Amino acid sequence: MSHLEVLKWVFEIMLASFFGGILGAITGLGGGIVIVPFLTLLMNVPIQVAIGASIISVIAVSSGAGSVYVRDRVTNIRIAMFLEIWTAAGAVVGAGILARFLNGSELTILFGFSLLLSLIPVLAKIGEELPKGVKNDALANFLKLNSSYYDMKLQKEIPYNVTGIPASMGIMFLAGIISGLLGIGAGVLKVLAHEIAMKVPSKVSTATSNFMIGVTAATAAGIYLRQGLIVPYLAAPVALGVILGAFTGTRLMEKMSNARIRQVFALALGVLGIEMVLRGFGAKF
Amino acid sequence: MKKKIAIQDAASWILRVGVITSILIMTLGLLISFFHGHLTLFRIENRKFNENPHLLFKQIWRGEGFAVIELGILFLIFTPILRVAASVVLFALEEHDWMYTVITFVVLVLTLTAFFFLK
Repeated sequence: MSHLEVLKWVFEIMLASFFGGILGAITGLGGGIVIVPFLTLLMNVPIQVAIGASIISVIAVSSGAGSVYVRDRVTNIRIAMFLEIWTAAGAVVGAGILARFLNGSELTILFGFSLLLSLIPVLAKIGEELPKGVKNDALANFLKLNSSYYDMKLQKEIPYNVTGIPASMGIMFLAGIISGLLGIGAGVLKVLAHEIAMKVPSKVSTATSNFMIGVTAATAAGIYLRQGLIVPYLAAPVALGVILGAFTGTRLMEKMSNARIRQVFALALGVLGIEMVLRGFGAKF
Repeated sequence: MKKKIAIQDAASWILRVGVITSILIMTLGLLISFFHGHLTLFRIENRKFNENPHLLFKQIWRGEGFAVIELGILFLIFTPILRVAASVVLFALEEHDWMYTVITFVVLVLTLTAFFFLK
């Protein structure tokens, strides 16, 4: 390979990852939804290696975008810490115990269909700017989860309550199991728990999910490292592109409306659901 | 009176410094590999992550680009874990919030368990 070809190759990977990073920072999903199909379909990278690179990209988006959102106080750090317990426990159960009994492709199909199903409650509130009439549930009160954030688009401080904690704990445990087993889905179930169960504003949901996915992905990264599925020459350009995209994405997200963020998320949710179903049926992307 | 360190500011700082450090290390490694002519598509398939820390540092010492990139990736992976560890300390020492100290500590233990022991 000539130097020029190498440069072109690195540049293409960085560019695709850049867009993955923007989308990841706006939606709280990480970047795998763009990066995995790009690497497998256009770059001929084996699917497991592409997922390995995407795990690194999730950590990069989480830390890059997370540093901005947590500084600007959009992230709800208590929600993040409390729910991370359930994700981390799920990952341990998933990778440590369930991996021996479960079939990866069936699980991927099931995961894909449940994502498509979860489009329904998201679409039901697609144009909603801020959640109304949400009351703290008992656990949210006990854990002091309600908070407020400054909305740059609405230009005022937005207080919000948090509900549905038991359901969220279940969803997060499931999110951990899925990430532990498949190395994917770190973000999407977290955003769904925030949006549908806890009913927090979309910006808080994106920012808090963003903050959490890095820890979940770091857990999965350990497993992928030991299996030799993280390939440095691939992961490094992906990480660089994604971080630049993530910092760009935070600028965009903070100035968007909550309704628009939810629309972008709904679109990504549909695409990811279809991606997962096809992958489960044997598509190599 | 000592000013309280906000957990948010500490977390933001750790994440930002971790990300920027790993960007710089990975870029350096990519440049070294590039100018040695090691960076090729072919290498994607046959050079896997080296897990032996002793060997890794020996290779970095010899100025091997591949090993430098690996170090950058390790920095990136440990950044969020370090953020959790720092939160444990700050919830305890700055906030005196024992419930969240315990919650964060459990997260740290589970994460490290999964990272080091799961197959």
